[in-house]
Amino acid sequence: MIDRKLAVSVDDLTVAYNYKPVLWDIDLQIPEGVLMAIVGPNGAGKSTLIKAILGIIKPIAGSIAIYNKPYKKQRKLVAYVPQKGSVDWDFPTTALDVVMMGTYGSLGWIKRPGQKEKKASLEALEKVGMLSFKNRQISQLSGGQQQRVFLARALVQDASIYFMDEPFQGVDATTEIAIINILKELRKAGKTVIVVHHDLQTVPEYFDWVTFLNVKKIATGPVKDIFNDDNLTKTYGINYKVAVNK
Amino acid sequence: MSLSEYFELLFTDYTLRTITLGTAVLGAICGMLGSFAVLRKQSLLGDAISHAALPGIAIAFLITGTKDANVLLLGALVSGLIGTFWIRGMTTKTHLKSDTALGLVLSLFFGFGMLLLTFIQKQPNANQAGLDKYLFGQAATLVEKDVQLMVIVTGVCLFVLLLFWKEFKMLLFDADYTMTLGFNTKFIDILITFFIVLAIVLGLQTVGVVLMSAMLLAPAAAARQWTNSLGIMVFLAAIFGAFSGVLGTAISASQNNLSTGPVIVLVAAVFVLVSFIFSPGRGLLFRELRFRRNRRDLQLKKTLQFMYGIAKTHENISHPHAIRILNNFQGFTKTSLRALEEKEWIELDKQLWSMTDKGFDAAQDLYNQQANND
Amino acid sequence: MPLKIYIINKQIMTNPQIEIQLIAVVVAIACAIPGVFLVLRKMALISDAISHSILPGIVIGFFITQDLNSPLLILLAAFTGVITVVLVEMIQKTGLVKEDTAIGLVFPALFSIGVILIAKNANDVHLDVDAVLLGELAFAPFDRLLISGMDMGPQSLWVMGVILLITLGLLFLFFKELKVSTFDTGLSSALGFSPLILHYGLMSVSSVTVVGAFDAVGAILVVALMIAPAATAYLLTSDLKKMLLLSVGFGVFSAIAGYWLAHLLDASISGSMTTVLGIVFLLVYLFAPSKGLLSVLYRQKQQRIEVSLITFLLHLNNHQEENERHVNHLNEHINWQKVRSKSVLELAQKNNMIGIENNIVSLTDKGREFTNLALEYIITNKDEKIEHMKEDFFLFRG
Repeated sequence: MIDRKLAVSVDDLTVAYNYKPVLWDIDLQIPEGVLMAIVGPNGAGKSTLIKAILGIIKPIAGSIAIYNKPYKKQRKLVAYVPQKGSVDWDFPTTALDVVMMGTYGSLGWIKRPGQKEKKASLEALEKVGMLSFKNRQISQLSGGQQQRVFLARALVQDASIYFMDEPFQGVDATTEIAIINILKELRKAGKTVIVVHHDLQTVPEYFDWVTFLNVKKIATGPVKDIFNDDNLTKTYGINYKVAVNK
Repeated sequence: MSLSEYFELLFTDYTLRTITLGTAVLGAICGMLGSFAVLRKQSLLGDAISHAALPGIAIAFLITGTKDANVLLLGALVSGLIGTFWIRGMTTKTHLKSDTALGLVLSLFFGFGMLLLTFIQKQPNANQAGLDKYLFGQAATLVEKDVQLMVIVTGVCLFVLLLFWKEFKMLLFDADYTMTLGFNTKFIDILITFFIVLAIVLGLQTVGVVLMSAMLLAPAAAARQWTNSLGIMVFLAAIFGAFSGVLGTAISASQNNLSTGPVIVLVAAVFVLVSFIFSPGRGLLFRELRFRRNRRDLQLKKTLQFMYGIAKTHENISHPHAIRILNNFQGFTKTSLRALEEKEWIELDKQLWSMTDKGFDAAQDLYNQQANND
Repeated sequence: MPLKIYIINKQIMTNPQIEIQLIAVVVAIACAIPGVFLVLRKMALISDAISHSILPGIVIGFFITQDLNSPLLILLAAFTGVITVVLVEMIQKTGLVKEDTAIGLVFPALFSIGVILIAKNANDVHLDVDAVLLGELAFAPFDRLLISGMDMGPQSLWVMGVILLITLGLLFLFFKELKVSTFDTGLSSALGFSPLILHYGLMSVSSVTVVGAFDAVGAILVVALMIAPAATAYLLTSDLKKMLLLSVGFGVFSAIAGYWLAHLLDASISGSMTTVLGIVFLLVYLFAPSKGLLSVLYRQKQQRIEVSLITFLLHLNNHQEENERHVNHLNEHINWQKVRSKSVLELAQKNNMIGIENNIVSLTDKGREFTNLALEYIITNKDEKIEHMKEDFFLFRG
C-alpha cells in the first residue's frame, strides 16, 4: 500500500449541518483499488462524508482531491449510488430510464442519449441481472431490484471510483450476494469502491479496507490490521462489545 | 344556447373562438407544468402563488394606472415570484414548516391585495372596474392579444421543456445525483419554478386566483393514473387540461349565469374522478378486481393443499374421497370445487372427489414454494 | 330596511364602531386558538381547504334556513368542512396521488360546486361570491339579534361569542390531551387518549369557527387569522401556553389596528386586518430574538467562525509536524480564504488559545484543554462537559 496511488484524499474536512457539527477535521487517504467500508454509529456522519466528497454538501473547511485534482475536474471518474430511500419510487419512469441517467453526465447539457447510451445501459442492467425488468415501472420493483437498478446506473457511468450509500439496506439475501460480487469484480478491475455500511458482521467477509468514523475519523486501514475490538469500542462506545457478542 | 349550437358557433363566432382557444391553450400549459409541480410534491405551491399574485396586480395598476393585461400580469409575476422565494426562505431559515409557510404567503398576500383593491375602488378617478375579474376569472374578457400571449408563452415553455427534458426529468427524480453529475441543479430548479409561476399568472385572468391551483393539479393528477412514463404523462396532462378548458367554456357558454372558471375546474375534477376509478393500471376498480381474484386464487390453492394433505396419505393419490370430509375445512364452495375441476386438478363424481396427477404436482409445487419462503 | 334603521336610531348606546371592533376581536381570538394547534400539527393548509369547501354547505344550508346566522346552517356548513377532511384522507389512503395533491384536488372542486350553486340560484340566494371570499365586517352590526322585540346586539357577535366560549371550554377541558397528542402521538394513544377523536374534534372546532368567522372576514382571510398569529407566536416561543396567549394577543392587536387602518384608507376591514397581521409577522420574522431571520443569519456567521476556530485548534492538536502548523498552511491546506484564516487566528490569539512563533502556530495549555473538552463533547454529545463554554460559544447552544 505504500506505493499505491491515492484515489481519494480528504484533508482537514469539517462539515456542520445547521447547528450541529457532523464531521470534524477529517483526514482520510483512500488508496486506489480498495473495497472499503465506512462504519460508525447512527449520526456518525458516514453519508455526510460521502456527500461532502461528492460536492453535494458544502464543507466549512478542508479540501478534497480525486487523483490529486479537485472533484470538479475529476467528476467523470466518480460514480454515486445514493440511499435507496432518498428518491420517490412512484416516479413515472422505467428501470431502463433510470439506468440511462447514468449516461447523462458524460452527455452534458441538452444532448440526448442515443443508441450508444442505450446499449451501455442495457449491458449494465444485464450485469445486475435485471435485463428482463428493463421496461418495468420502478415502483413495481422489489427493494432489492430497485437497489440493483441504482447500482446499474452507477455502472453505466464507467467510473474509477464508486461511492455507495448503504447499498445493502432493505435488500434480500440474493441481491446482497449479487451486489457484493459485482463490487468485488469492480475491485478486481482496479476500481476503488467506497461503501457506507452498517452491518459489522459482514465487514471482514466483504471488504478489504475499512474506515471507522464517529464525527472524527477513528481509524482507517486494511481490515485485517485494524478491524479489532479496540477500534470498534473507540467508535461505538463502551457498550459496543455487549451488542456484538449477543 | 345549447351545446350543439355552441359548437356550430365556434366556427363562425370570432369572440367565442378566441375564448375557446384561450382556455384550451391555458389548460394545456397548466397541465404540462402541473405535472412537474405534482411530481415535485409542490401541489399546493400553485395555490399559494396564485393568491400571492394579487397584490402585484393591484400595485402594477396603482403605479401605471393602466388596465393593460400584460402590465398587470408582469406585476403578478413579480409578486408571485417573491411569494415563492419567501416560502423557500421561511422553510430553510426558520423552523416554520412548509404548510405554515404556504398558508401564510397565501393568506397574507391575498389580504394585502384585497386591501389594495378596495382602496383602488374608492379612488374617485380610477377606472378600476375589471380588476376584480382576477378573483374568479372571466374567460369572456379574453381578447386576441391575451390568447396570442398565451400561445407565445406556451411555445417558449414547450421549447425549453424539450431542450432541457433530460435535465428536468433527472432533477425531479434524484436531485443529489444530478448534482454529482455536474449539472447546475439550482439553475434547473429555478427554470422549472419560473415556468410554473408564469403559467399560474397567465391563468389568473381566465380562471382566477382562487381556482387556479386546480387547473394546475387536476389534469396532472388524472394523467398520472394512465401511464408510467413521464413524457406520456406530460402529454396526457396537456390534453386533459385543454379538454377541460374547451368543455368548461362550452358548458358555461351554453348556460346562463355560469362563470367559466368553476365549470372548467369541475370538468377537470371529473377527469380526475374517472381516472382514479377506471385507469387500468392504478385505478381503484381494477385494483379491487385484482384483489378479489388474488383472494379467490389463494382460496383455491388452500383448498387444493387441504386435499393434498388427505390424498397423500393414500398410496393411490387419485383415490376418491367424499366431499363431506371437506366440511372440516371452511374455505371451499361448490364454485371453487368446479374451478378446481376446470383446472383439471381434481375430478368430481357426484358426492366424491379425487385428485389428478396434475393436481398433485401443483399442490406439491405450492408446498415447496412455501417451504422456500419460510 | 326601515325597521333596521329604526332600531339603530333607537340604540343610542350602541356605537357601530365599537361593535365592529368587538366582533373583529372575538373572531380573531376564536380563530387564533385552533390555529395554534393546526400550525403545530403541520396541518395549516387544512384551514385553507375547509374555508373554501364549506361554501356548498353554506349555500345548501341557506336554502333550508334562509338565514346566514342560523345555528343549523352553521352546523351544516361545518359538517361539509369535516367531510372535506375525510375526503382528503380517503384520497390519500388510495396512494394514487401524494398527500398535498389530495388537498389541492378536493377543495377547488367543492368550492366550484358552491359558486355554481350560487350562480344558478342567484335570484333566491342573497349571497354574493365576492362577499364569500372577503366578508364584510362593516355590515355586521346591521344584523341585530332581536328577542321579543328587544335588541340584544349584533347577531354575529352572539354567534362568534358562543363559538369562542365553546372553543375556550374545550381548550380548558382537554388542554392536557391536546398538548400530549400534538407533541407526541404515540404517547397520547398509550395514555389512552384517542388521537383520532382529538383529530376530528379539532377539525370540527376549526370548521365551526371558519363558518362562523366567514360571514365577517371571508373564506381566505379566515386562513390568515388562523395561521398568521400562531406562526408569529411560534417564532417567539415553543411553549404551548405562551404560544396560545401570544397568538391571541397578535389576533386582538391586528383586529383593532386593522380596523383603524381600514378607517384611514377607506378600504376593506378584513384586508386591513390581514395586512396588519402580515406586517407583525414580517417584523417578528426578521427580528425575533433567536428564531428570526437576522439572528439566524448572525448565528450562522458566528458559527462558521467558531467551527473554523475549533477545526483549527483540532488540527493543531492532531499534528505535531511543523509544516502542518505553519501560518500559510491555513490558506493552502484547510482551504480557507485569507480573510477567514486571519479572523480565526485573531480570535484564537485573543482567547489565549494559541501562540505564534516564527509563523509556527502552537496550542497553549488553555487551548489544549479547550480542544480536549470540545472533542469530548463532539464525540459523546454530552452537555455537562461544556456547560461553562456555552457562555462564549453559540455553537453549543443549539
